[in-house]
Parts: sequence; structure tokens; C-alpha cells
Amino acid sequence: MAGKMIVVTSGKGGVGKTTTVANIGTVLAKKKYSVVMLDADIGLRNLDVVMGLENRIVYNLVDIIEGKCRKQQAMLRDRKLHNLYIIPAAQTREKSAVNPEQMKNLCQELADEFDYVLIDCPAGIEQGFKNAVAGAQTAIVVTTPEVSAIRDADRVIGLLEAGELRDIHLIINRMNHRMVKKGDMMSTEDIISLLAVPLLGVIPESDEVVISTNRGTPLVHDRGSKAGAAFHQIAARLNGEEIALDLEQKVTIMDRVKRFIWS
Amino acid sequence: MNANDSPAILIKANREGFTLVPDPSASFEALVAYLEQRLSESRDFFRHADMTLDLRERPLRTDEISRLHGLLVAKGRVRLVEVKLGEDLSLVLDRPSDRRPPPPKPGPAPAAQDSALVIRNTCRSGIRIVSQSDCVILGDVNPGAEVIAVGDIIIFGNLRGVAHAGATGDRSARIWALSIEPNQLRIADIVAVPPRGSKPTPRRFEIAEIQDNTIEVITL
Repeated sequence: MAGKMIVVTSGKGGVGKTTTVANIGTVLAKKKYSVVMLDADIGLRNLDVVMGLENRIVYNLVDIIEGKCRKQQAMLRDRKLHNLYIIPAAQTREKSAVNPEQMKNLCQELADEFDYVLIDCPAGIEQGFKNAVAGAQTAIVVTTPEVSAIRDADRVIGLLEAGELRDIHLIINRMNHRMVKKGDMMSTEDIISLLAVPLLGVIPESDEVVISTNRGTPLVHDRGSKAGAAFHQIAARLNGEEIALDLEQKVTIMDRVKRFIWS
Repeated sequence: MNANDSPAILIKANREGFTLVPDPSASFEALVAYLEQRLSESRDFFRHADMTLDLRERPLRTDEISRLHGLLVAKGRVRLVEVKLGEDLSLVLDRPSDRRPPPPKPGPAPAAQDSALVIRNTCRSGIRIVSQSDCVILGDVNPGAEVIAVGDIIIFGNLRGVAHAGATGDRSARIWALSIEPNQLRIADIVAVPPRGSKPTPRRFEIAEIQDNTIEVITL
């Protein structure tokens, strides 16, 4: 049984790659799939912090690749879910410590053991990006509704397509529906018409995301969080479940709330 | 400048690169001045191109040739590969044995010298397409992408990036697209930045062309 190898990338930094990996991984693990999350951002590791596992790191990705430890020694098990693991990046090394061929082999080995291998790609389009995408079959491109992030997402999609990775999905993070309505933000439709890749989901802007990151607990553990619900839907769609994109409905719910407030 | 009526050096594009044909009546200083200006205007376009100097109409002395050569190399990063001195007499400098690689995108190779380059996908940010003749794009040109053609540019999609038609100085070149909302438009030596703000979406298509020394976008 070979698992799915998925890279989460964006080009621009700070758009929510690591948060996306942490949340999607957690949802899939909650669905009883075995999941390993691989932090490919060597030198700027974050995923362990977001998952709240920072203090347990002994070995890392580079140690596995250099043969200093076995894969199992570097894998950290999640605090809540026993079928969710992360492999942290090395903080004191550089991207050049690993090459795409080695990453490809490692991802292949992990895919033999796990249902899902999620790779957290570093920002940029240099060596680190090439390493991260080398092993993936599917790419998730995360963007925010800002022109700079969309421009970078477009470039990354072009590079992925040039690298024969054609299963590309889009997540729009930090969408503020109120600003879109006022015409101050690009709408989902505008972004899709520009980037022309299938949409996996839209995550609303929310303070909860920052809070959960700081606490080191993925948002999807919270019930009643809107952004968490969006991640649940995204992970389900990624898992092949048919869930309609309720872009229209979101607006109508907002409308109803507004009408309620006005009346 | 009166260069548009009769340039001191005619620059012709072909598959192997460019051919420079100096005007027989122009003085050598005029040739140098014109070439210097053209190179500084469109340096990026000529970069790493192979050039042939055609001196069949306007012979030059060897020191003059070497001065032009120095100018091309220093200012335009151009390689002078051949100097044509007469019908059967030419001086091959450093023509590479293999031709320049085909345009960066896969697609059917141009059948003839002046057949258009056809790109069958969307040009995303970071892509640069250079055509030695016309260029046809079946898809959008997104912000951050550049399309440069010696002739016309025809886009069956939205133009949101940079397009440069008539890149070797042809002011009659035009840019066609279903919708033109670019970062910047260039035709020959004229650069235009579209006005800020939204404009109505065209019902059919739009054409950009030069009218009275400015680039006009006509909506159809």
C-alpha cells in the first residue's frame, strides 16, 4: 500500500503553509489515517512549534538522510493522536544539506508505511523548494488574497507544472468576506480566474489561528471554530470526499447575520 | 530623431538571430550613434543573440568593423558571428556548430523563418517568451510574465503581464488580446502604462497599437 505524498507550498512566506500542514494532518489523523508530516524548511523549522512538540526533538530530517539515526528515531508522535507523526527539520543546517534525490527516496519510504505524507515546503523557489517538491505527487498551493501572494503562487504553479507535477490544488487563506464585499479585497472568483487551478477550500481570516499556533495545538481540535471547520472540509476533499464548495452560502450566512443585526 | 523613416542600420530578425544592414548613405559616426542608441533601448532583447553584419551595400574598414563589434559585445552582450563582405565572401567569426535552442516552450517548431511562435498554455509569472516573428498565445498572460515578439502578439486570453510587440523597432506592430489589462505595454520603442482603475470588460477583444506616437488600446 502506497500512501499519498502531498507538498504544501506557496512561494511567498507567511501565508500559512505550516498552519495548513498542521491542521490538515491532524484532521486526516482524526479520520484514522496514519499521517506523517515532514518539515522541509531546513534552517527555519516551524512545524514542531505549531504542533507543540519543540521540546521533544532529538534527531531531525538531516540526521535521517545522513544516516545518523533511523527514521523511527526522528519521528515525533503527536500529543493527542497516536497515528500522527512529525519529522522536524534541522535548525542548525542549511537547505543544501539535502538534495532532491534523497528527499524523493525518503518520501517513497515513508509512503510505504503511512497513508499520508505531508511535506511542509519552505518559502522561495530555490533549493529548499526543489527538495520539498521532489517527492510529491500532489501539490497544495496556499495563497492569501493579496496581489503579492497571488503573484508568487502563480510562479510556483508554473514551476510545478514545468516539473511535471500536474495535480495542483489551491487553498485561499485569510479571506475576509466583508472586505471583499466592500471591494477592498480580491474575491475568490478573481483569484481562481487568474491562477486557474482547482480550489480545495477557503479559510476565513480569524484570530483563533494565531492563538492556536501560539498554544501549539492545531485549530481543528477546537469545536466551533470557523477556520477549523474550513480545514475539516479541505482535508475531507483532499481525502476524496465530495463536499460542495459553499462559497455562495457563506455570503448568505453573512447576509443573514447582518440582517439580524440591522433589524 | 529621424531614425524611424530610414534607420542608419536596418535590423532584420531571422531564426539564427539578427542581421544588421548599415544604410549605404550613412556616415560611420551615424552608424555608431544609431547602434548605440538601439542597444541601450533594447538591451535585454538582444542579449546573447547571434548577429550577422551585412556589409554588402556599405563596406567598412576593418577598424570600423572591430569598433562595431566591440560596441555590440560591450553594450548589448551580443555575439557577432558573421560579417558578410560580398556575395560569396563572408567572414565567419564564432558561429556555433549547433543552432540556438528552440524557443523555451514545447510546441511545434516553426515551419518557416517567419511563422509565428504558438504557445499552448497560460504564461505564468516568471515565464519569458521571445519570438523572432509573431507570437500567438492560447491562454492568459499573467502578471509577472513577459512576452516579446519581433512582430505582432496575439493572445487568446487576458493580457495581465508585460507584452512587447515590434521589439526590433517595428512601430506598426500590434497587440491583440481578449482583454488588455497589463502592467505595461510596449510597442517598438514606446512604453505605456495603463491608467489606474477598472475599465469595462470588452465584449469581443482589444487591440493595442501606436497612434501619433502613443500606444492606444482600442476596445471592440
